[in-house]
Amino acid sequence: MSTLHVLSHSPFSDTRLGSCLRLLGSDDALLLSGDAVYAVLPQGSALTPLQEKTVFILEEDLLARNLDCPQWATCVDYPAFVELSIRYDKVNSWL
Amino acid sequence: MKFAIALYSAAHAPSSRRALRFAEAALASGHEIVRLFFYQDGVHSASSNIVTPQDEQDIAQQWATFVSQHQLDGVVCIAAALRRGVLNEDEAARYQRPGVNLKAPWELSGLGQLHDAIQTADRLICFGGP
Repeated sequence: MSTLHVLSHSPFSDTRLGSCLRLLGSDDALLLSGDAVYAVLPQGSALTPLQEKTVFILEEDLLARNLDCPQWATCVDYPAFVELSIRYDKVNSWL
Repeated sequence: MKFAIALYSAAHAPSSRRALRFAEAALASGHEIVRLFFYQDGVHSASSNIVTPQDEQDIAQQWATFVSQHQLDGVVCIAAALRRGVLNEDEAARYQRPGVNLKAPWELSGLGQLHDAIQTADRLICFGGP
């Protein structure tokens, strides 16, 4: 059973990203949205081994913060977000 | 594919906008939304008393338009709404409150509606937080 984990909190304001990564299964993926996209900053990825995971980023939120999509991630728009929510068996939002 | 969408944040939170954009994209891709359930602070996203500055997007209005246009089942948790002062005509009269700020297309109902939607849908997607 695969799960898409959706984060929207900044990795610099709490420990959600770390907690999520600890229980991320091999079939699971991460979708960064809102302030969670700050995890692409070098300071952020130095804290967390994101490069080894399947990571998607909501493009709109990345652009709104003038950040670039790193090589280890895939940028998605809303139709692709919908598609991801179907590709994975469950969607777990870290509210 | 059948979606149930739960929203936990007010209209001014970016997550409310993301939920709306997701819902729009789901319908545009030919999927079905069996129910929208507005819970906790999400009840504010259904309030008709919200005044948005002119240079900002009126997400509460966009939600109401979206739900009306597509004739969706927009359910607002009654317990969460009452404690936050989001009242329809019946509840305002019942508790003798001066204002009504929940109108069509929204409906007040219980958490059972969320449970029911989860049973019916293939996917539950929750939006909340920042």
